[in-house]
Amino acid sequence: MRLSLASAVATFAVAIVLYPLLSGGGWFWGSLGAVVVVFGASVLSGKLALPAWAAPFVGVLAMLLYITAVFSGTKAWALLFPTTDSIPHLGKLYAAGWADIQRYAAPVPSNTGVSLLTTTGVGGIAIIVDLLSTRLRRAALAGLPLLALVTVPATILSDPIGWPSFIIAALGFTGLLIADGRERIGHWGRAVLVRRTRHATSGPRDTADTRGLRLSGKRIGFAAIGAALVLPALVPTMEPFQPFTFGVGGSGRGGSGNSITIPDPVAGLKGQLQLPEKRTVLTYSNSDNQPRYLRIYSLDVFDGEQFRMTPPKGAPENRTENGPLPRPPGLGDSTPVQEVNTKIQISEEVEDLRFLPTPYPASQVRADGDWRADVSSLMVFTTEEDASGMEYEVSSIEPKPTPELLAASQPAPADRVEQKLLELPPGFPQEIRDLADTTTAKAKNPYEAATMLQELFTDKTNGFTYSLQTQGQNNNALVDFLIYSKTGYCEQYAAAMALLARAVGIPARVAIGYTGGSKVENGFQVTTADMHAWPELYFEGVGWLAFEPTPTASAPLGQGTARVPGYTVRPTEQSSSTTGPDNTVNPEVGEVPSLNPNALRNIRELEQDRLAGNGSLMVEEGMPLWGKIGLGAAALLLLLLIPAAMRLVTRSRRVRSLSWRISGPSDEVTAKTARVSPPVAAAWAELDDVLCDYGMARQPSETPRALARRLTEQLEFDADAAKAIAAISTAVERVLFAREPGVIDPLKPHLKTVRRALADTVTRGRRLRAALMPPSTMQRIRGLGEKLLDGFDRLENIRLRRGGSEEETTSRELVNR
Amino acid sequence: MAVTHDVPPQLDELVSTAHRIRQAIESVIEGKSDAVRLTVTVMLAEGHLLIEDVPGVGKTMLAKALARSIDSSVRRVQFTPDLLPSDITGVSAYNQQTREFEFKPGPIFANIVVGDEINRASPKTQSALLECMEEHQVTVDGVTYELETPFMVIATQNPIEMEGTYPLPEAQRDRFTARVAMGYPEPAAELEMLDVHGGTSPIDKLQPVATTEEVKALIEAVRGVYVSQAVKKYAIDLVVATRHSPDLRLGASPRSTLQLIRAARAHAALSNRDYVIPDDLQELAVPVLAHRLLPSVEAHGQRRTPDQVVSELIRRVPVPETRGR
Repeated sequence: MRLSLASAVATFAVAIVLYPLLSGGGWFWGSLGAVVVVFGASVLSGKLALPAWAAPFVGVLAMLLYITAVFSGTKAWALLFPTTDSIPHLGKLYAAGWADIQRYAAPVPSNTGVSLLTTTGVGGIAIIVDLLSTRLRRAALAGLPLLALVTVPATILSDPIGWPSFIIAALGFTGLLIADGRERIGHWGRAVLVRRTRHATSGPRDTADTRGLRLSGKRIGFAAIGAALVLPALVPTMEPFQPFTFGVGGSGRGGSGNSITIPDPVAGLKGQLQLPEKRTVLTYSNSDNQPRYLRIYSLDVFDGEQFRMTPPKGAPENRTENGPLPRPPGLGDSTPVQEVNTKIQISEEVEDLRFLPTPYPASQVRADGDWRADVSSLMVFTTEEDASGMEYEVSSIEPKPTPELLAASQPAPADRVEQKLLELPPGFPQEIRDLADTTTAKAKNPYEAATMLQELFTDKTNGFTYSLQTQGQNNNALVDFLIYSKTGYCEQYAAAMALLARAVGIPARVAIGYTGGSKVENGFQVTTADMHAWPELYFEGVGWLAFEPTPTASAPLGQGTARVPGYTVRPTEQSSSTTGPDNTVNPEVGEVPSLNPNALRNIRELEQDRLAGNGSLMVEEGMPLWGKIGLGAAALLLLLLIPAAMRLVTRSRRVRSLSWRISGPSDEVTAKTARVSPPVAAAWAELDDVLCDYGMARQPSETPRALARRLTEQLEFDADAAKAIAAISTAVERVLFAREPGVIDPLKPHLKTVRRALADTVTRGRRLRAALMPPSTMQRIRGLGEKLLDGFDRLENIRLRRGGSEEETTSRELVNR
Repeated sequence: MAVTHDVPPQLDELVSTAHRIRQAIESVIEGKSDAVRLTVTVMLAEGHLLIEDVPGVGKTMLAKALARSIDSSVRRVQFTPDLLPSDITGVSAYNQQTREFEFKPGPIFANIVVGDEINRASPKTQSALLECMEEHQVTVDGVTYELETPFMVIATQNPIEMEGTYPLPEAQRDRFTARVAMGYPEPAAELEMLDVHGGTSPIDKLQPVATTEEVKALIEAVRGVYVSQAVKKYAIDLVVATRHSPDLRLGASPRSTLQLIRAARAHAALSNRDYVIPDDLQELAVPVLAHRLLPSVEAHGQRRTPDQVVSELIRRVPVPETRGR
């Protein structure tokens, strides 16, 4: 019974770690119910004394009834028993749940199908745990299925599991082990190991006394959990090695890890950028052999949380096979364009890619299958096909605007641009509006304003840096990014610039796709690390133009293959805002000369080179391993020095108060105050600690006088030291016991003499230990721990007393029989 | 010395007087300064002393020497099995001349009463003596007679295992402030004793070194010794520890707490200190507490005497602490 309960509690405690995967409470109650049902089944099979192998079948049967009742009750007989109707219904629900899990990024909405899957999973784990711990009495082994449950969120989420849920899970498992231990040693008899004498006199007990053992168990358990929490924080981080998966946002579940599905573009973006190992996504070659950004998604709606994509509309007449795509919005006839042909080969490893990466703006796409273009955004997508391994050709008409043309571009007429492209959510922070206004104060036209906004990010003096550790792009995160931390990666840069542009009236959206990648033999190679987000701004007559606020490889840190388009650099500012080879381009040409391949290499790639040992570049994200180890060691050292520091602080505080002088009290009140006079108390406490540090601690029953005598005699103090210790002990005696303490001279010199005399009597090692790891402080820390354990003891005793009376009645009944 | 403090003048006087008394006794009893000091302490604490040891180690001599060194009335009673209570308290005899009953005071009417081999008398007689000790008065035939001040009973007894003894009940042992064991003398002291005692008895030459009035003044001074709350609490802790010790069947009584504090005052005064410190209590705990305690069966089986148990308790009970941090 106790073990069954402990198993159930442990399973449910571990199941709680699933919470970041699923939204809504359906799965929670479903899982709780499953655990309770399995617990009931376990108790039942225990009562019926079924053999061990039969117990799981009872559990499975109970789970089947439970699932039938909860999820297909209407189709079941008597709401409980599976019928030929209910089983297929359940099957359909499973399929739907499975599909949802595949489709959505975590957290998955907890609808019926998903709840059913979760409930079944947790129930299954509960049955296995119960079998292992209750029937086979291998509680430690039961940790394996529990561990399997924990790894589900750990592998799917890029963020680590929160420590509170880890503690709950660990406590659950520890509870199971404790319960097992109690069952096991309950028959041993009275334990010899008893923690405290004051507990030892609590009288004879009929039942086995396992308190001592249980307590050690608890201590070990708590220590282990504490260590599990603290140690990883100290140890240098190890990047997980994932050989067969790109494992992006919510798709790795159920073994289909080898895929790039991007249900949530933003989550996918970060997921791919954080992959420890980059994988080739596609290769392409084009007619003029220049790298080009390949756009996949266009996010046009900002809801205060993040940029989202309006679901693309693709009417059958917009099939790509039907000929040229619609003309890019806003591109006027007078704007010169460059026609580019790009051949793209998607990697076989990519799965579930339903949007085609294309250079913007595509005019024609030659691809097999039913691919359609969204008229307003020119995204190319499908509902049926899969781009995996596909090869296709894209023609694009790249606008080549002259600065004059751009400068002449006027704000878009309201009817030409959809309102959502200018919309800022209610409650949009005023700080950001102000920032946008001040940045663009000198702008003469929208184009200049846009370039100034880009400079806000690229100009090094503004202090923006690149880091993948940043999260989110909601209002608060944006304020933090723009004004305070100024640290982020392309997601923040793109979103921030788009919103700033909207704030000054320029229609803007965020594009997600890939940068031009790295030059290879006959074309370009694009990897997961090249995934990127950038803002696109609309100019009447030119259309949508990409900007690049994110620091590029030319900046000290940045996204390696990102390039600043030539047209976005203002001619007048060109020399001053030069940040790298990109900006040496003539803006009128707008072409990017081929760059030094190394400069284009992604910083993450460099990092990996360095790890492999053939590079020596230090970059922000990649602190070298020895650096991490050194940092960890330093942190550990600091941690170890805490007791020493505490000791020093205490000592200096005491020595400060030592210099006060107590004079003869003139009246009753001062006499009373002098009795607890801090200087003497401080001297005594300090002497106590020094003795403890040198391993000759005073017994609690040793009086000041006796201590002075012992030290003087045992350590053969010279006259000075003997006098000093006598002075201290007499002062303490007077303060504590005399009617009036009288006049006491400062004890500081005496204390010093005694300390030196004591130090002379101990070995050098002892002195060193007293300085670095003072036992007196350690004792105090241990005292705190003891108090904590005492608290647990008290809790335990409350329960024991109740349990004890029950046990007594049972034993009395036995006797009566 | 960094610590200066004024000691009341009567304390100085007390110390010198007590010193004289101790020297006088020690001129008779060789090498037993601890026992002598304890004896003087008990006297100053207005208590009674039980001297317990095997025959011939100088129990009676100690009692007599103390009595002699003070210029006070001394009576000695040799307890025998046929001793009657009236032999101690006195009797009312009919005076034929006055035709009245006249009270003939017994040996109890003295400053110092030496009860030799007290455990040889019958319990009835023992209890008569012990009542006097507690009440400081005697009631004979309905008339109450006050005893002298100072009044001190020094009883000697042989260990209870000896033949022909009636062991003192716990209730009566409790009335003695302290018990002291003489112990055999050191060989050197014994040699000295042979040399000195060979021809003459030094006790005959002993002259009183203090008067009754002086002793009264000393007792008064001892009462003025300060006992802090912390020390009182420590005394209670010690006594309570005896009540809870698994090694003891009977712990110490509240009366023993009172007597412990009184003795500690005297002990402090003898050390020229006007306040009591835990050291006083630690030194006195064994003689003051041990004879009142009954060892548990287990402790008895392990041959652990109450003396050892109390010594252990002293090592266990924490002394009052400063509130330093």
